[in-house]
Amino acid sequence: MKPLSHWFRDTSQDLGLRLIAALGLLLYLVFIVVPVFMSLRSSFTDENPLKSGSNWVGFANYSEMLHDDQLRSSVGFTLALALGVTVVANVVGLAFAMLLDRTELSYRVLRTIAFLPQVISGVIVGFVWKTIFTEDGLLNDLLARTHLAAQPVDWLGKPHLAQLSVGVVVAWVLSGFTTVVYLAALQNIPRELYDAGAIDGANSRQQFRMITLRMVAPATTISVTISLITVLKLYDVIQVLTSGGPANATQSTAQYIVKMAFTNDRFGYASSIAMFLLALSAVIALSVTSVLRRREVDL
Amino acid sequence: MTVQHTSSRSAARPAAHRPASARSARSPGRPVRPAARGRRLLSPARLTLAVVLVLVFVSPIYLTIVNAFKKEADIVADPAAPPVHPTLGNLSTALSRPDHLLQLGLRNSLIVVVCSVVLLVPLGSAFSFYISRRRTRARAAVLAMLAAGLMIPPQVVLLPTIRILTFLHLDHSYPGLILSNLGGGYFSFAVFVYVGFMRAVPDEIVEAARLDGAGGLRIWWTIIMPLVRPATATVAIFLSLWIWNDFLNPQFILGPLQGQTITTGLYLSVGQFQMDYGQLFGIMFLAGIIPVVGYLAMQKQFIAGLTAGSAK
Repeated sequence: MKPLSHWFRDTSQDLGLRLIAALGLLLYLVFIVVPVFMSLRSSFTDENPLKSGSNWVGFANYSEMLHDDQLRSSVGFTLALALGVTVVANVVGLAFAMLLDRTELSYRVLRTIAFLPQVISGVIVGFVWKTIFTEDGLLNDLLARTHLAAQPVDWLGKPHLAQLSVGVVVAWVLSGFTTVVYLAALQNIPRELYDAGAIDGANSRQQFRMITLRMVAPATTISVTISLITVLKLYDVIQVLTSGGPANATQSTAQYIVKMAFTNDRFGYASSIAMFLLALSAVIALSVTSVLRRREVDL
Repeated sequence: MTVQHTSSRSAARPAAHRPASARSARSPGRPVRPAARGRRLLSPARLTLAVVLVLVFVSPIYLTIVNAFKKEADIVADPAAPPVHPTLGNLSTALSRPDHLLQLGLRNSLIVVVCSVVLLVPLGSAFSFYISRRRTRARAAVLAMLAAGLMIPPQVVLLPTIRILTFLHLDHSYPGLILSNLGGGYFSFAVFVYVGFMRAVPDEIVEAARLDGAGGLRIWWTIIMPLVRPATATVAIFLSLWIWNDFLNPQFILGPLQGQTITTGLYLSVGQFQMDYGQLFGIMFLAGIIPVVGYLAMQKQFIAGLTAGSAK
C-alpha cells in the first residue's frame, strides 16, 4: 500500500486546501508566536507608548523585578489563589459529582445548574458577587437577619477578607467545570469494580480510595491542570470584584502586567513581567501534568 | 472567564487493566453487600446535604434572577424572597437607557462572535485535515507548538498584538479584534478538537475520493466536514462562549472609542457609578441571559464536547 502522503502529492488540485491550512497557521504564528518573541525583545528595552523608539537596557527590567514589592505580593497572591482554588474546586467538584452520580432525581437538572457559572461571563460574575460582598450588600444583610454577625463585615475592604472573597468567587466558577469533568469520569467506572470491591470486603471509604480515586485519575489530571492555568491568566473577575484592591492585596500578576502597561505606560517592564508569568505558567503546567500522569500510571 | 480545556486524552478513559475480580479470600461473616455505587438513591441525610450544597451553589444566580423582577423596595426588604409583586420595570429601565448599553453591546458582541467563529471553523478544520494526513515528525512539532497557545496567558501577547494591529492599520477596530481572535488560543482549541475527530475518519474514504479524481479541497469540504459535524458543534459552541465572554482583548484592542462589546460596556457603565440593586440586577439578567439560554438549548452538545471531543 502506498503511504498516504502519496495521495497528497504536490499537485495543483490540492492548492486550495493547502492555502487555507497555511493561512490558519500563518495567523497563529502572527498572533501568538511572533508576539511572544516581540514581548521577549521588549523586555530588554525601556519601551513606552509615549515616545517613539526605545533603548536597549539589557537586564535592567529583570533586576528591577527582584526588588519590586508589588510584583512579589502579586506573585504570592496568584500562587496562593491558584493553589487554594484548585484544591477547593477539585474537592468540591468531585464531591458534587459523586452526589449527582448517585441521585436519580433530576440528575440532568443538577448537572446543568452546576455548569452555569462557566457560562456566565466573568464581568457579570464579578458584579453579582460584588453586590453580595459589599459592606451594605446581600451577605451582610443575611448575616444581620439571622443575627450571625452584630457588625457588617467589610468583605472586600480588608486585605485578607478580600483575598478570601476573591478565592470563593473563583472557586465557585471553577467548581462548575470540575463537577462536569468528574461526573463524566464517574459515569465511566464499570459497576463490576464496586461489586468486586464489596465482595472483597472493602468498606465504602476503601472503595472510594481504591476504586473511585484511581479511576478518576485522568480526570484529575485535566481538571487540576486547567484550574491552575485558568487562575494564572484570570483577569476579568478580579478586575470587576476588587480591581486588585484593597492596597493591591488582590492584584494578580496578570493584572499587574496590564496595570504596568496601560496605567503606568511602561511597556518594557510590563513585558519582562509577562515573560516571567509565561515561564511560571509553563513550569507549573508541565510539572503538574507530568506528576499527575505518573500518578495515573502508578494507580 | 474562560476555561480552556483540551487534552490529548479524555477524562473518561476505559480502564487500562481489568480489575482482579472477586478473590476467594473473603473474610468470613462479612455479608456481601450490593454494589456501593449505581443508581440507588442516597440516604435522606445525604440527599438533604446535596440539596443544601446545590442551593448555596446556585444562590448568586438565583439572586440575579429573582431580583431582576422585583421593585427596589422589595429587594431591600428581603433580597432572597421570590418576586411577590413581579415587575418588568428593571428590565425596561435597562433597555431604555440613553446609552443603549445592552442593545449596542449585544449587537457588537454578536458581530465579533459570528465573524470570528465562521472564520475559525474552516481554518481550524482545513488545517487539522491537512496535518492529520501527515505522518511526519513535523506534525508532532506543529501540534506541540499549538498546544503552547492554549497555555500562554493573553496578557503576555496583548501588547505586541496591539503593535501588530497598529502596523496593519487595524488597531482599535472590530476587524482587528476579529483578526486577533483567529490566531490565538482559539485556533489551537479548534485544531485539537478537530484532529481528535479526523483520526477516526478512515483513510479508505479519502483514497476512494482521490481515485475518483477529487481534489483535496473538495474532499475536505464535501466528505470530511459532514463526517466531523460533532467536532464542528463543539468548536463552535465553546469558541462562541469564550469570545462572547472575552473582556481583556475588547477592552484594550478596541479601546473606549469604538463602541462596546457587552462585557466592556457593562464594566464601563456599571462600574462607573452607584446604581440601585434593581437596575443592576436587571442589566445583569439581560446581559447574561443570551449565553445561558444558548447553553440550555444546546447543553447536550455542550457537556458532550466537554467530556468527549478529546477521546480517541
